[in-house]
Amino acid sequence: MPSHPLRVAVVCSSNQNRSMEAHNILSKRGFEVRSFGTGTHVKLPGPAPDKPNVYDFKTTYEQMYNDLVRKDKELYTQNGILHMLDRNKRIKIRPERFQSCKDQFDLVITCEERVYDQVLEDLNSREQETFQPVHVINVDIQDNHEEATLGAFLICELCQCIQHTEDMENEMDELLQEFEEKSSRPFLHTVCFY
Amino acid sequence: MASGSGDATGVRTSVASQFFTGKEDGAIDMTTSEKVVDLLNQAALISTENKLTVLKQVQELIINKDPSLLDNFLDEIIAFQTDKSIEVRKFVIGFIEEACKRDNELLLKLIANLNMLQKDESVNVVKKAILTLTQLYKVALQWLVRSKVVSDMQEACWDMVTQMKEDVLALLDSDNDGVRTHAIKFTESLIITLSPRTPESETPRRQESDISLDKIPRDHPYIRYDTLCEEGKSALEQLLKFMVHPAISSINLTTALGSLATLARQRPMFMSEVVQAYETLHANLPPTLAKSQVSSVRKNLKLHLVSVLRHPCSLEYQGQISTLLLDLGMAQNEIARCTPAPRDQRKRPRHEPYTEGKKIKMEPALVEDDEDKEEPAPPLVPKPSSVPGTQSAIDLTAEFLLPLLSPENVANLVLISMVYLPDAMPASFQATYTPVESAGTDAQIKHLARLMATQMTAAGIGPGLEQCKAREEDSGKEGAEGEGVAEALSGSKDLLIRRKVSAVSMGQAISVLGAYGGKSQSEEMEDSPQVATAKRLPEPILPSAQTKVPGASGRKKVFRLADVIQPLTEAQVEKLANMAVKRILHSEKAVARSGMSHVRVKLLSRLVTQFEGVMKDEVLDFILEDIRTRSDLAFSLLYQEYNAYLSQLPNGSLETYDHCLITLLSGLQEKPEQRDGLFTKLVLEAPLITESALEVIRRYCEDESRVYLGMTTLKELIVKRPSRQFQYLHVLLDLSSHDKDKVRSNALTFIKRMYERDQLRDYIEKFALNYMQLLVHPNPPSLLFGADKDTEVASPWTEETVRQCLYLYLSLLPLNHRLVHELASVYTEAIADIKRTVLRVIEQPIRGMGMSSPDLLLLVENCPKGAETLVTRCLHILTDKVPPSPELVERVRDLYHKRVPDVRFLIPVINGLEKKEVIQALPKLIKLNPIVVKEVFNRLLGTQHSEGSSSMSPLTPGELLIALHNIDSTKCDMKSIIKATNLCFGEKNVYTSEVLAVVMQQLMEQSPLPMLLMRTVIQSLTMYPRLGGFVMNILSRLITKQVWKYPKVWEGFVKCCQRTKPQSFTVLLQLPPPQLTSVFERCPEMREPLLQHVHSFTPHQQAHIPSSVMAVLEANVKQEPEATEPADPEMEAPRLAPVPVPAPAAVLEAAPALQKAPETHLQIQQYAAEEEEEEEPMEEGAPVPTIQEPPAELPLVTQGEQLQVEESSAPSPVEKAEEPMEEGVAEPSDVADESKEPMEDSNTEAETDAGDPE
Repeated sequence: MPSHPLRVAVVCSSNQNRSMEAHNILSKRGFEVRSFGTGTHVKLPGPAPDKPNVYDFKTTYEQMYNDLVRKDKELYTQNGILHMLDRNKRIKIRPERFQSCKDQFDLVITCEERVYDQVLEDLNSREQETFQPVHVINVDIQDNHEEATLGAFLICELCQCIQHTEDMENEMDELLQEFEEKSSRPFLHTVCFY
Repeated sequence: MASGSGDATGVRTSVASQFFTGKEDGAIDMTTSEKVVDLLNQAALISTENKLTVLKQVQELIINKDPSLLDNFLDEIIAFQTDKSIEVRKFVIGFIEEACKRDNELLLKLIANLNMLQKDESVNVVKKAILTLTQLYKVALQWLVRSKVVSDMQEACWDMVTQMKEDVLALLDSDNDGVRTHAIKFTESLIITLSPRTPESETPRRQESDISLDKIPRDHPYIRYDTLCEEGKSALEQLLKFMVHPAISSINLTTALGSLATLARQRPMFMSEVVQAYETLHANLPPTLAKSQVSSVRKNLKLHLVSVLRHPCSLEYQGQISTLLLDLGMAQNEIARCTPAPRDQRKRPRHEPYTEGKKIKMEPALVEDDEDKEEPAPPLVPKPSSVPGTQSAIDLTAEFLLPLLSPENVANLVLISMVYLPDAMPASFQATYTPVESAGTDAQIKHLARLMATQMTAAGIGPGLEQCKAREEDSGKEGAEGEGVAEALSGSKDLLIRRKVSAVSMGQAISVLGAYGGKSQSEEMEDSPQVATAKRLPEPILPSAQTKVPGASGRKKVFRLADVIQPLTEAQVEKLANMAVKRILHSEKAVARSGMSHVRVKLLSRLVTQFEGVMKDEVLDFILEDIRTRSDLAFSLLYQEYNAYLSQLPNGSLETYDHCLITLLSGLQEKPEQRDGLFTKLVLEAPLITESALEVIRRYCEDESRVYLGMTTLKELIVKRPSRQFQYLHVLLDLSSHDKDKVRSNALTFIKRMYERDQLRDYIEKFALNYMQLLVHPNPPSLLFGADKDTEVASPWTEETVRQCLYLYLSLLPLNHRLVHELASVYTEAIADIKRTVLRVIEQPIRGMGMSSPDLLLLVENCPKGAETLVTRCLHILTDKVPPSPELVERVRDLYHKRVPDVRFLIPVINGLEKKEVIQALPKLIKLNPIVVKEVFNRLLGTQHSEGSSSMSPLTPGELLIALHNIDSTKCDMKSIIKATNLCFGEKNVYTSEVLAVVMQQLMEQSPLPMLLMRTVIQSLTMYPRLGGFVMNILSRLITKQVWKYPKVWEGFVKCCQRTKPQSFTVLLQLPPPQLTSVFERCPEMREPLLQHVHSFTPHQQAHIPSSVMAVLEANVKQEPEATEPADPEMEAPRLAPVPVPAPAAVLEAAPALQKAPETHLQIQQYAAEEEEEEEPMEEGAPVPTIQEPPAELPLVTQGEQLQVEESSAPSPVEKAEEPMEEGVAEPSDVADESKEPMEDSNTEAETDAGDPE
């Protein structure tokens, strides 16, 4: 077991649903976790599929919440957006963009392949300095509340297992294979360096 | 520590708050230095998490806030490198990095510590160390390049860095995935550093100031541009090699892909290699990857390819990269978007600076001082590497010590160690001394125990070490024995950590890292040699180093094997090698038990073939000791030798192979019998049979106890190695004339079998004929005697040598009858001695061929001139036991009538001839040598052999006898006829009384009466007296046939009557008076008994007797002279004729004697006859020239007969005209006769000397 707690980052597109769900559970389980989005903007469902609510990453969850309450409290209560934002604002103030964070992690978990690609691109585009490795794992999660909850538990279990390995890097491959079998979904996995 | 309450609770509350408290306080009354001391003291006692926080504060303070303190507290911080906690050790590494970056000079001191940590037992520590080295390598290089003068210490430092670099590269093969990942990154950075930056290089902003090859001056006193360049290249090679490993893990692969991309972008000169590596990888993804891993890798590959593609220098490779990207599922337009626009300017050759560097030849990088060079590495050298291993030993020892550290014990320890304290307190001690804060607390005691344990373990003592010894091979061996704890604590200079323990009992507060300079210095002097040598090592422990040996050279040499070993002398090398091979050789059983025999065998054969001489022989001897179980080694060795030969073609020598094979084969021969066919196996499986090996096989064949095995093997060779089969066959053929019977007969048997094979037939035949052809030489060629006997070249032919030439031929003859003609032609040319032998040896084969053989018949038919005797001999052999076939008879008859009218040809086939022909030939036959005559009669009478039944004589015995009587006396002399009839009478079994009676009857009825009639009658009567009555009857009838008209018969008649009186009286009385008178004239003594006989008659009977007869009976003497006179001259000759023998038994017994005598006589007659015909002038010639002249033709007669010839040449031939034989034929017939002698009744010869009745 590594002597220091894993520094985990969970990343989805808008840092609202999937990453925040995982963030929630992981932090409850005692992980040193942070969550991010990789999109250029934060998007939330709107009254129609082609009319999303778009915010920038500076907007706090509180502001979004208020904005939506103002726009259509019933709709956003019904589709659970308000509930989600309510939870989010209790976790942290505002969504964060992965590309803007220069902190180092041991493990980055992404929630869909597109996000994974963006994370890799970002990490690879950074200038390498310390060569400290960071493992990036993609766990595909559909962007809805139920899947987000299920996905969060999966991510949590994964993190716990990794945390409990004697030598994370040496056992990661095997562990992921086991998880793939167990959850019957493929994980993309790579390593980048700071 | 004023503020520190000293109790554990205070420490445990909140380090952060403490820090802030301390800071507040410090702002007022504490210097930074004091604060650091305070923190360090805390850190020594508190738990890991807090320790880290505290240490980080210290680091912040001494590196950033007040770097001047760095030097002071370096030792204290570094001391934590042996901390139990991985995080703490990692912190120390981080500290080293920061410290060195801050003050490059610290590299001198810290690099060894880093080296030690790089070998830590925890992979996480190792990984951290690698990361740090990645940075420090550049730092160190830059630092050295900057230094105008490079000190010895710097050189040593750089050597160590280089060594560490090698160590990390070696970690590419580590078992740990993460370690490998870090090693890859290190390699990447290394390659970039050790290659020149070019204008095309894409350099991260932060690394712009980093050192790279292009910044290395070519004239640097220590750093060699060339060497670095080579090292960089080799690192790249290693990386590329690593990437193609088939079992590379997905993470390693990903890492390597990224590294390559970085390389390509930062060092475009490597783009070609990188793209190629990508291509290779894409084509051969490791089979071990799981499906999702493949996706990950492909994704990475795509990512990195794009990043490479974006680099302007990718122009040349755009095609390849695009292809790859397309394969990876990237859209064409996307690719186009990533492709940089081609630059106008022509790119300058990318590799120019690089290759330029390569061209410069320079000395090897490691230029060392001579003194260092010859310094043998002390046993302590591996110390740092043993540290990770001793960690657990330290733990154990600490646990062991903890309960022992009672105040009493500690006091004693202090007292004991007081003796060793220096007189004056060393300055350095004083400078760094800080009071012990919490003496007596559990934490402090624990700390103390641990410190002691560390020292003890380093000194090689303590229970923990002992326990660990088993699994730690390298550690602890060099420990000093028998030293007290205290001494161990303070004494060993090479310890990693030096702390003042003794102070504890003095109640003094001590610095945790209290230097013990003076003490150690003095210790150093008296300590073991380890100390002196340890000085030269890169020394990981700093604290006392500066004070302790200020002047001493700090240079430490990297351990290198070459420095500590001395080349062995050639003899030693050889001896060691020999011993090693011997050990392998004699480990047979042990290896067999482990089931690795095949490895041993392989090893041995490989080794031995590489060496020459002794070892090989030894192994061969070893094999031969028990070749049965060691045959696999034998074969392996053999193949290896052959392989060695092949590998050296075309110049290779077979000598060693040959030697090996021969030794094995000869060795096998010396062994007692083997039934396992090992010899055969060896020969057949040997890749090549050399000349000398063939010689060994030949020896095998010549060994009577192994002849069969040897020849079987040879046969197999011939059959299974067609390419050289004639060579092998030749050996076998050679053996066919061997003088050992067993060898020869075996060889012949094998050859006969071979002969059935078409492809070998010609060769064998030619060989056999060539050999036979030798017979035409006047002397036996040296070939027949073997090479070593060529002195006897001129010796004459002996029966042995003649036979030698014929063995093979004769054994082939029955298989191929055509060969018989060759024999005939050789025969005619050969000298007489050879001829005689030939005739003797052909019996078996000829008999084997049988008389139905067309070739044999053809031979008879053609009968080459000069081969008559050969043909005759063949005929005899053929008909010896079986009657002649009509074909044979036909041919012989033909031959006899048309070409060679020698009656002797007819003898073998006589039973096949017609009666007429036999009777016709009879006169000639009976004139032959009596032995021959006897044989003829035997044949005719069927008395020749036991199986006489098979012979179908054309004449019955009676007919024969009659035929004899009827021979015209002009064609044959009476003497021969009489002899012939005597032969008949000799066969009493055939000529029974009945047969004789019939013969007599028939003869009597002939007219005129045969001359010998009465002789036969008398002889019959002698043999069978009971024929008396019959004979009387004959006599009576002869009277009616007027027997007196045949003077000779008449004479016999009278004689017969005379013998048979008184029975014959009745017959006599039947004679007419004149004839009766004639009887009385011949035998006057008969008259009186006859008269008395008549007188004894009854008167009636007397009346029947004519008076004229009575008158004769009673006649006076007057009448007698008249009758006798006319008969007298005629009766002279017959009287010579055989004198009737009194008893039949006597006749039989005498027969051989009689036969012998005529034999010589007859020979002489024949001989003389020739003489007369051939050499007229010599007619009356002395016997001497007669014998000298014909030797060319007649050397055979020499021996005993010569004497007889001389003796009897005087008697003149009786009937020379009757000799029809040609001279050439005459003489060989003797040969035939002579050769037949042994088969004939041996009595004949035995009694040769017996008195001649004649």
